[in-house]
Amino acid sequence: MTRGSNPGPWQSPEMTRRLARRHAAEKRFRLFGMGAIGLSLAFLALLLVIMLKNGLGGLDWSFLSGSDSTDPSLAGVWGATKGSFLTMVVTLALSFPMGVLAAIYLEEFAPRNRWVDWIEVSINNLAAVPSIIFGLLGLAVFINTFHLPRSSPVVGGLTLALMTMPVIVISGRNAIKAVPPSIRDAALAIGASRVQTVFHHVLPLALPGILTGTIIGMARALGETAPLLMIGMRAFVASPPQGFTDPSSVLPMQIFLWSDEIDRAFVVNTSAAIIVLLVFLLAMNGLAIYLRNKFEVRW
Amino acid sequence: MIGFIVLAAVLGLGLVGWFSARTRARLLYTGRGSLHSTPGYHGWHMALWIVIPALLAFATWSSIEPGLIETSVMSDPAAAALPAGDMERESILAEAHVIAANPGTAAFNPLSAQLAEPMRAAQSRFDLIGAALVVLFAFAGGGYGFTRIRAGFPARTRVERGVMLLLLAASLMAILTTFGIIASLVFEAGMFFRDVSPLDFLTGLHWAPANAVGDDLSSNFGAVPLFWGTIYIGAIIAMLVAIPLGLMSAIYLTQYASPRLRRWLKPALEILAGVPTVVYGYFAALTVAPLIRDFAAAMGAENPSTESALAAGLVMGVMIIPFVSSMADDSIAAVPQAMRDGSLAMGATKSETIKRVLLPAALPGIVAGVMLAISRAIGETMIVVMAAGAAARLSLNPFESMTTVTYQIVQLLTGDQEFNSPKTLSAFALGLVLFIVTLILNIIALRVVKRFREAYD
Amino acid sequence: MSETPKLTARNVDVWYGPKKAIDNVSIDIDNGLVTAFIGPSGCGKSTFLRSLNRMNDTIADARVTGEIKLDGEDIYAGTMDVVALRARVGMVFQKPNPFPKSIFENVAYGPRIHGLAQGKGEMDLIVEKALIRAGLWDEVKDRLTDAGTALSGGQQQRLCIARAIAVSPEVILMDEPCSALDPIATAKIEELIDELKDNYAIVIVTHSMQQAARVSQRTAFFHLGSMVEYGETSQVFTNPREERTKDYITGRYG
Repeated sequence: MTRGSNPGPWQSPEMTRRLARRHAAEKRFRLFGMGAIGLSLAFLALLLVIMLKNGLGGLDWSFLSGSDSTDPSLAGVWGATKGSFLTMVVTLALSFPMGVLAAIYLEEFAPRNRWVDWIEVSINNLAAVPSIIFGLLGLAVFINTFHLPRSSPVVGGLTLALMTMPVIVISGRNAIKAVPPSIRDAALAIGASRVQTVFHHVLPLALPGILTGTIIGMARALGETAPLLMIGMRAFVASPPQGFTDPSSVLPMQIFLWSDEIDRAFVVNTSAAIIVLLVFLLAMNGLAIYLRNKFEVRW
Repeated sequence: MIGFIVLAAVLGLGLVGWFSARTRARLLYTGRGSLHSTPGYHGWHMALWIVIPALLAFATWSSIEPGLIETSVMSDPAAAALPAGDMERESILAEAHVIAANPGTAAFNPLSAQLAEPMRAAQSRFDLIGAALVVLFAFAGGGYGFTRIRAGFPARTRVERGVMLLLLAASLMAILTTFGIIASLVFEAGMFFRDVSPLDFLTGLHWAPANAVGDDLSSNFGAVPLFWGTIYIGAIIAMLVAIPLGLMSAIYLTQYASPRLRRWLKPALEILAGVPTVVYGYFAALTVAPLIRDFAAAMGAENPSTESALAAGLVMGVMIIPFVSSMADDSIAAVPQAMRDGSLAMGATKSETIKRVLLPAALPGIVAGVMLAISRAIGETMIVVMAAGAAARLSLNPFESMTTVTYQIVQLLTGDQEFNSPKTLSAFALGLVLFIVTLILNIIALRVVKRFREAYD
Repeated sequence: MSETPKLTARNVDVWYGPKKAIDNVSIDIDNGLVTAFIGPSGCGKSTFLRSLNRMNDTIADARVTGEIKLDGEDIYAGTMDVVALRARVGMVFQKPNPFPKSIFENVAYGPRIHGLAQGKGEMDLIVEKALIRAGLWDEVKDRLTDAGTALSGGQQQRLCIARAIAVSPEVILMDEPCSALDPIATAKIEELIDELKDNYAIVIVTHSMQQAARVSQRTAFFHLGSMVEYGETSQVFTNPREERTKDYITGRYG
């Protein structure tokens, strides 16, 4: 134990070799990490490049303004885009108010009891339930029980709203939780009721966070295909839907339908439709990131 | 479109109610303390009374109207000619629906052109009845609200109570959804299990719903090959890709990357999570699967199939990378800085600190993250639908085509067949199994994550 | 003191980004005794301590200029291996930070990564010796496989000291090691420091002047990032040369 009195052991050849080995291991580990993230991003880049290479040639005005057709040169994405838009309107109109109200209740008013625990477990679990299960729910409830029109934006929107709501609740709760208690105390101390405190002070401060979460949830809903397959949104729809109850397709579904076509020309269409969908998604995610950076407040 | 007009009318009425109630309450103001609540709350009280009953009426009517229309169309003499098959019938009715909405559209099936007119008539009749009903509710509610406006009326307390009820109702939606999922799956799966014994379903090795006719049902509904395909693709191949890559990405991002690099790499990785699954599926089918087939052929496999478990699993793994990475990122970040400092101060290198201190400390969180990732992978649908194949086989060869639970659900519910046949119902039985398995994985994982966070708080 | 100082610092500045946290500090630290750094909070004493084993490297925008030598070797020179340096200059932190491992593994961690033990027997011996020196052996010898985090606060801190001495360091840096402990645990740690000082150069940062007076032989007083006074502890406390030191010692500020 008197090694301390001389620096010798650290200069011994054995120790020097050991140190060199450890530093080499360190370098290898670091490279492995870099490689992992590089490989993931390379895959993403490859995917994007292939889609761009295949699809850019097919992106023209007639493609953007046309609807589905059996002739690849006439087929376009306008019908599916409109269907997606109508579906998203229904989803947003339902899931946003519901999600925000539920988040407020759970974060600000809910008593601690077994019922509220059930609600919480329920929401956390719904956020992780496979999307195809929501499709089965939509099929059994909205179509088989309520006889709502098959393959319509209203059923698609309802189904996706149930799927999106938990996402909004969770991000909403986090945003509300981030508002410091001192703000609540200040409002309560001048005689505001709890409801007034929440709606006048807490909610406006939490809104940017809630909006960010909502946009991300909507982006996920926009790219979703599996639950819509269940409620029959795979019909061949040659004219854009005129209303919420008309049969319609949506963008990801159009991609899926075209991907099955044998005709080589549909490869161009599929890739071009993917580009259109990705542009929408990137715009939404970009908006979410912008909102987060612009309004994020560190308390 | 009439639905839109009705909703707008209800909201307009609510606005009118808000203003009129507020104005009336203001007239009651005679001095400090003369009103129990501010005029604004009287306005809100009135508006809630107008909007909520009307919206409830609207929702109820919208859910029963299609049924009413269909009944009315069915009573038309032309409907007698409708074919019995559900799919055909549906498509004719759907086409009639389109023609009813856009007169002049060419009809694919002459029957739908015949049905279009009665359909349009029934639709506009029921639309009008519904609109009248909704407006009636709005006025009734508004009338009640208006009579309540008095100086001493506690409008604020009432409004707040109403708001609380709304909040509670919104939260109950989550329970209702969960209940709806369980009820519909159990109900439909129950009908299936009347024909096929659950034991045969869960332990049978032969899956061929197409051959399932007559008395020989049970022997064709053995779901084990599907379970195996699901586990092999989602929990084995995908995780072999996602766990090392996701974990190492998280380690590089949190421990090595400079803040500036991290600011770029993290969102880039998040894009990977934002790509829709149908795009991954297409990529798997278009690019990855042929590559793997060629590779298999080069390795000497005979007639390798284009669809392979490996193609689907690989792409699924890549899709899961950002998910694993962000869970691992959170778990590692939750380990107190003091642990890291303690190890570095002993003279440990960064990688030794990560491997021997940070990862063991973060392990519960990482394991929970992997469980959530598996739950997501086995429920993933589009990639397997587009790249995995339909062949139900028990095989260890990743180059072979394999099928999964989700693939079969899609297959069973999108073909042309009647409702309530064992074939369609079996999809719900598969859905029930999938739901239960993911539920267990999710609940355990969420509980572990929660306990883990508390441990380091 | 005839032998050369263990650690020497000359004109050391420490920067956090554009902010200067330590201004021109020069100090000699000798073997076989305890040196205390005292001063009001925020005076830079901990920052300076962390520059002695290059723990400041782990802070992204921290920068150290000047010269710090261990046995005449510049620790910021390119040839100095920071891994070996930190093994020679151990550190004990303000809050006990045992790893989430067993008591045995906590102590064995250092020897294991540095390869100081050949075989299980030697490792057992090193762990036992370190725990005995840290005065913890009798309390834990029957439960070496229990989690280190299950010990009491004072025991955890002594475990951290055992962990540090298990790699046979030459210098031990202690950053307010008793601030999270109760008086009884504090007394034990102080006793331990006193016993350990014969074999190591010990540097202790403390906010308690009484503690500095009790355990140290030399005291350096820091204020606003500079070292105001450095001398024999008895002299600094009874007869400070500087007015500011006197004000601090007599409780005028701090």
